[in-house]
Amino acid sequence: MPHKKKIEPDRRVLIVDGEPDHLATMSEAFRALSEDRWEVHTAGSAASARKILETVKPALMVLDLNLPEQDGWQLLASLREQQPQLKKVVLPSLATEEKRAASLAAGADLFLEKPISPEGLKSVFAKLCELLDWKLPEGFQGVLRSVGLADLVQMECQARNSSILELYREQSLGRIYIEDGQIIHAVCREISGEAAFQKLFTLTGGTFELREFELPPERTLNRTWEFLLGEAQRQRELLGQRARSGETFSHGAESVSSEPAGAASEILICSAAGEVLLNWQCVAPAARVKLMQKVARCAESLIPELQLGKLDRLEIQLSDGRAILQPRADRLIFARVGPAL
Amino acid sequence: MKPDFKTWFANVAAVPGMLACGIRRPDGKCAGYGDEKVYPAEKIEKLLKQFAGLHEPLAAAEFSPRWTTRAYEYGQLRYVSRPDKWLLLLLVSPESEAVRELDRLAEDFLTRPFK
Repeated sequence: MPHKKKIEPDRRVLIVDGEPDHLATMSEAFRALSEDRWEVHTAGSAASARKILETVKPALMVLDLNLPEQDGWQLLASLREQQPQLKKVVLPSLATEEKRAASLAAGADLFLEKPISPEGLKSVFAKLCELLDWKLPEGFQGVLRSVGLADLVQMECQARNSSILELYREQSLGRIYIEDGQIIHAVCREISGEAAFQKLFTLTGGTFELREFELPPERTLNRTWEFLLGEAQRQRELLGQRARSGETFSHGAESVSSEPAGAASEILICSAAGEVLLNWQCVAPAARVKLMQKVARCAESLIPELQLGKLDRLEIQLSDGRAILQPRADRLIFARVGPAL
Repeated sequence: MKPDFKTWFANVAAVPGMLACGIRRPDGKCAGYGDEKVYPAEKIEKLLKQFAGLHEPLAAAEFSPRWTTRAYEYGQLRYVSRPDKWLLLLLVSPESEAVRELDRLAEDFLTRPFK
């Protein structure tokens, strides 16, 4: 139940979780950690969450993906346009790369694993506070953009947190170690230090995950985070200018596309049997499902032929963007990514 | 096959990290390069045929791809189809020169005036 103390509207928080124990633990913890400055509401289903969203109009929703009747992705995707100002955080019990990609594509601003310790709860609470404090840039027309890598690094440093940001594209690309708000180490495959930090910021098309802090094998950075982020931004702009002028270039061992990734324009997730689990703006779901099933069958039959291991994804290059199909053991995922805006 | 095509294809096969590559002409004739034990010519021809089988479901899903890329654990496979029925298949090692050249090779294949 919400407390009677006067609460600012931007401190109204909704927690949505199908497990009553989780709801109770998190709501109690967040109330205590906020010293009753948060008005915490809870919902055990998507339907209940919708009612609270309509009446209370919270600033932040913390969402588990496993809900009865309608799953978290469906709720998230439907709120993307209905409640663009609502800050949305996905907090699953088990974080996987697949869940993260689908959550961010469906409109989540932050993706964190559900904490299992009091320290973990404090760390998540700190990140939620940072997100609540995060103001939209002026002139942004009321659309909340996903929190980017630079935003998250800045949030972690300003909050003097200790954490590790791990970046992925198919596999781990690198890590940024932050200790008490200072960036102390970065590694990107075979390189480390400032070169690694800057390279991680120029890569596109990947995702990142916030992990609990652990000491790095070495300390390779001692400049301020403001300097490092500024320099990374400068490098990124330089690469963008070169790309726009048609210049081709490579950065270290890997060619780099400086074109920003476009936003997802369609998402479809179905079971291996073809039952649609999530449909967000998909224009031809039946044909997409048929295509995904064909790709999955073809992938299975080709494993011994190709000797390249399992298929991670099929990318379809279109004249106006890309479509990505990911066959997984229990589900098939389709996303269409439009041209960069 | 025209010498120009042969030279182009031989250059493609020579890119470091190219595990195998195959090409099918509009008349159905195929050519392939690759390790004879792992990727013999018959296998490459079979793969070209299998990927051509995806045209129908792709069209049904309203896609006209410029190319498709399959990312596997240990490599990538690029399949390019031209409107005049030429097909190209490239199998490349991850993190190799060949994987970085995929877009350029595909673009080149799409625009090169083969006969």
